[in-house]
Amino acid sequence: MVMRKLELPLSQTQKVRFQTAIERLQSPAEGHGTSEVDDELLATVCGVVVRVDKLVYVRTLRARYKPQVGDIVVGRVIEVAQTRWRVDLNFTQDSFINMHDDNVQKRRTSVDELNMRNIFAEDDVVCAEVGEFHKDGSLILRVRSQKHGKLDKGQLLKVDPYLVKRIKPQFHYIESLGIDLILGCNGFIWVGEHGHVRDPMTKNTRKEQSHTPLETRQTICRIGNAIQVLSNLGFTMTLEVIMETFKLSNTRNIDIHDMLGSEFHVLVTENEAERRHG
Amino acid sequence: MVGLSISEQHFVKGGIAQDLRTDGRKRLTYRPIYVETGVIPQANGSARVRIGGTDVIASVKAEIGRPSSLQPDKGKVAVFIDCSPTAEPTFGGRGGEELSSELALALQRCLLGGKSGAGAGINLSLLVIKEGKVCWDLYIDGLVISSDGNLLDALGAAIKAALANTAIPKVNVSTEVADNEQPEIDISDEEYQQFDTSGVPVIVTLTKVGTHYIADATAEEESQMSSAVSISVNRSGHICGLTKRGGSGLDPSVILDMISVAKHVSETLMNKLDSEISAAEACEDES
Repeated sequence: MVMRKLELPLSQTQKVRFQTAIERLQSPAEGHGTSEVDDELLATVCGVVVRVDKLVYVRTLRARYKPQVGDIVVGRVIEVAQTRWRVDLNFTQDSFINMHDDNVQKRRTSVDELNMRNIFAEDDVVCAEVGEFHKDGSLILRVRSQKHGKLDKGQLLKVDPYLVKRIKPQFHYIESLGIDLILGCNGFIWVGEHGHVRDPMTKNTRKEQSHTPLETRQTICRIGNAIQVLSNLGFTMTLEVIMETFKLSNTRNIDIHDMLGSEFHVLVTENEAERRHG
Repeated sequence: MVGLSISEQHFVKGGIAQDLRTDGRKRLTYRPIYVETGVIPQANGSARVRIGGTDVIASVKAEIGRPSSLQPDKGKVAVFIDCSPTAEPTFGGRGGEELSSELALALQRCLLGGKSGAGAGINLSLLVIKEGKVCWDLYIDGLVISSDGNLLDALGAAIKAALANTAIPKVNVSTEVADNEQPEIDISDEEYQQFDTSGVPVIVTLTKVGTHYIADATAEEESQMSSAVSISVNRSGHICGLTKRGGSGLDPSVILDMISVAKHVSETLMNKLDSEISAAEACEDES
C-alpha cells in the first residue's frame, strides 16, 4: 500500500480529489478478527496482524490448529467408523484416517472392517501426516512411514498450537535418554519410551504388562514438565529449548514436581533472556 | 469424561505404583494451590482457588432470617454447588446436576456436621442475633469453572477461604419486644465482624487407583479410580466428616489406614492453605 509518487502539476482542488480517491482505493478490506468501530479498524481478537494486499486480518494466537498438507500431527482416535477412524486434532473439523491407506491395510475386506479395533481403538493416540483436504473441509490423514502409527508407553501433552513451529524433523529420538519426542504441529506433544511406535500391521496380540523403568519414567516426567513450563510461559517449543530446560532443571537439582512451581518458571525465563541477548 | 488409551491407562497406573505420577508428584503430594479472596464484590465473602487445572469460586452471602424452631440458638447455613459447562461440555443443561448435588451433599457433611448442627466447622451459635427471633442465614455458593480432578478438596478450600474473607455487618436489636413480635433491627454500615475460621476443616480426598491410593488426583487419574474417600480434618486433627465415592468396596483396614494418612496430609495442606489465605487477604488489602 505504498503511495506512488506522481510527478504531476496538481491544483489544490485536484490534490484533494485525488487523495480522497486514493484513500478510497486503499481502504482496507476487513478480514477475520477485525471490526470497524467509529470509522476505525480494530482487532477483535488477540493475535498477529497480517496484511495481504488490501485484506487485513488477525491471526489468532490461541485458536484451533490450522492444518497444512505435510504437517506431522498427533491425535486421538474418537470414533471407529465403517471404513475409517475419526481423529481429534484440535481442528475445527473432523479428521480421518482411511482404512485403505497403504500402510494400514493392504487389502480391504469386510472381515478387516470388523477387526479395525485391532489396529486403532477408540482413545488411542496416533501419529500421522496431514494428507489432503476433503471437499467439505474435513481432513484426511496418512499413516505412511514406520514412524507413524499408534503411540504407547508415554504421555500426551497439549499446548497451544502456535507454540509448535513447522520445523522438520518433528520426530526426535533422544538417544542418551532413550526417549521419543514428537512435536505435533497441532500442539499435541508426545513424550514416550523409545521404540514403541508399533507397525500398524502387527496386531497387538500379546498384552505388554511390564512397567516403564523408573529412570525412563523420571526422564519422561521431567521433559513433560519442561514442556508444561514452556507452554505456561508461551515460549516456542523446539527440541533445543526443551532440552535446555530439561538440563537446567537437572543441573539446578530441581525436583520433578517443583518444576511447575514459580521459582523454576523464573529461572527458565532468565535463562531464555540470557540465550536471546547473550 | 477423559479418554485414555489402554497403554496410557497402563502408564498412569504404573506411575502410581512406582510413586512417580505423570506430573512428577509423589502419591501424597498436592499440586500448588493458589488463593484469591474478595473476587465477588457483591458477596459478603468470596474466594477463588486454583489447584493445577482445577478452578473454583466460592461465595458467602449473609441474609437476615429466622432460626428454626428446633434450634432457636443457631443460625442456618446452606451449601449449593454449580458446575459450569465451561468446565466440561457434559455439564451443560442438566448434565452437571448429579455431580453438583453430590458435591454439595459431601460438603455439607464435611463442613456442617450432623443434623443437629453439632460438630459444625462453622460456629453456628455466632450467627444468632436474637435467640429464637433473628439470625443470619449463610448461603454458600460454589462454582466449578474448570475441572481437572479433585473438585471436592478445591471447593472445601475455597469455602474455607471465602469464610475467612467474610465480613458480616453488626446488628443492633431493639431490646424491649413482646414475645410474639419480631424485634426491630438496625444493620450497621460501618462495623463488621469477622469469622473465626480456625475450626473450619480441610477436605483431603484419597483416590484409590490399583492397589495404591493417591492425594489430589487429576482428571486423568480419577478416570482410573476404583473408589475415593474424602475425609475432612480440622486443625486439631479430628475427623469432621467422611464420604466415600466410587462403586467398589474397601476393606475396613484400608479405610482406617486412609484416615491416618489423610490426617497426616491435612496438616501440610492446612498450613499451606492458611498461609495462602493470609497472603491473599494481605494482597487484597493493598489494592
